[in-house]
Amino acid sequence: MILMGRPLRRFELINAGTVDEAVRALSKYDGRAWPFAGGTDVLRVLRFRPLPEDLMPDALVNLKTISPSMSYIKEEDGVLRIGATTRLADISRDPLVRSGYQALAEAAEAVATPQIREMGTIAGNISQLPQCLYFRKPDDRFHCARKGGSVCYAQSGDYRYHSIFGAVNNCIMPNTSDIAPALVALGARIVTNKRTLEAEGFWDVRVPGNTVLDRDEIITEIQVTRPPPGARSKFLKFAVRKSIDFPLVNVAVVRGDGVARVALNAVAPKPYRAYAAEEVLLGGGSEEEAASAALDGAVPLQMNRWKISVARTLVKRALLMASGRGAEGGGP
Amino acid sequence: MSSANAHGGRQDSSGSPGVIRLTVNGKRYEFKVGVDVMPFTALRELLRDRLGLTSLKEMCEGEGVCGSCTVLVDGRPTLSCLTLAVDCDGKEIETVEGLAESGHPLLEAFSRNYAYQCGYCTPGFIMSAKALLDRNPDPSYEDIVRGLSGNICRCGTYAAILSATREAADALKARRGGGGL
Ligand code: FES
Ligand code: FES
Repeated sequence: MILMGRPLRRFELINAGTVDEAVRALSKYDGRAWPFAGGTDVLRVLRFRPLPEDLMPDALVNLKTISPSMSYIKEEDGVLRIGATTRLADISRDPLVRSGYQALAEAAEAVATPQIREMGTIAGNISQLPQCLYFRKPDDRFHCARKGGSVCYAQSGDYRYHSIFGAVNNCIMPNTSDIAPALVALGARIVTNKRTLEAEGFWDVRVPGNTVLDRDEIITEIQVTRPPPGARSKFLKFAVRKSIDFPLVNVAVVRGDGVARVALNAVAPKPYRAYAAEEVLLGGGSEEEAASAALDGAVPLQMNRWKISVARTLVKRALLMASGRGAEGGGP
Repeated sequence: MSSANAHGGRQDSSGSPGVIRLTVNGKRYEFKVGVDVMPFTALRELLRDRLGLTSLKEMCEGEGVCGSCTVLVDGRPTLSCLTLAVDCDGKEIETVEGLAESGHPLLEAFSRNYAYQCGYCTPGFIMSAKALLDRNPDPSYEDIVRGLSGNICRCGTYAAILSATREAADALKARRGGGGL
């Protein structure tokens, strides 16, 4: 057999038939099995092996074989319900999501490339591992703080794209999910086999993961209550290229009568809700003032100071668009 | 219905190791899991090495960033480097070889427009363009740019690729009788 490039590291694949079966398999492997659906992040890890051997998975638990399927979009009693394994492309095209939950549709459409949106799932996007270039270097060449090491290589190296709100657990890699800020701004809930979490409480900075989920816990559904009548949401992303890149800053806002929610991502190790900006808006302040408040407390370093002005501009622009006053188009 | 098993394929009623069945370019194939195909075999390896479909390329070592390994899986443009072969049980797969057999106008349009230099990215681009035209038979320039934004051409023949895709859309329209959709 002619293998091109690097082969995938060997693993067992367990096709779960039910959520219970998936959970049982995960607990049996006690951390050595990972949930598997779209595969665009997990298989990249299995091919390039950025993690030390003891953190690499020996088995994948396939959630796409679960019946009834966890790929669905529906609205019931004013609550949007999206199954965990729903593809991002299906979310971005869905008329229901596009009409009532615009920021989520826009965020889904902003992820990576058409192929990755057709493959990748909503649960996978919000659970993605750190995308830091040091973390991702093949074969654990940088054994950093997120892999059980003691050093964050970015802090003394290239941190141009890293956190402007400091480190968490000695890591300055920002969370790079495009879906995350949309869920935080829309006040979504993340349902697992164990509990229902407010979106804001879903992320953490662990070795090596980015979520608070236990080893035997999987997301089953995302729920979003429809914003009140008249409220509008908006998502904007800044990246080097229009396609494929992870966000360097992204923002989602919801604006309406007595409603103001502002969430940013790619600026801090966890998705960042800008409470200060929301207070300014609720107190009658302008978009400009809110945008400036959103970056209060930022502690950038010399090489990533630029992110502050980009973030401020994105927040202001998103707020103006959500209130119907900003022009669409015109890249940052 | 599949029950949980560690073979990565559907277990048949006798409980013997799984078998996966896929349709590739209209032909049906069956592979024994653990024998013909392993759980960790990427779809690209199965299609290239087992079926000899050499249109599948690799420009990015299988990292998901180049699009040159794009195939259609149940109509969805899919990176075959980041797809497990066993995960395609029961699915329909289409590659450029299939389009060549059926005489899809995209191939003619790509060659008429010289929409390649080295040609390495071409099969991936054609499959992305096929997925785009299947969903949107009358794409604007912007739609085409977006639809093909998951593919990279190292030789920079983008302008010709965009024209070729638009030309194929027109050819398909003419084939349908030129009238409304
Ligand atoms: S080989 Fe580059 S995306 Fe698959
Ligand atoms: S023609 Fe050479 S990479 Fe596109």
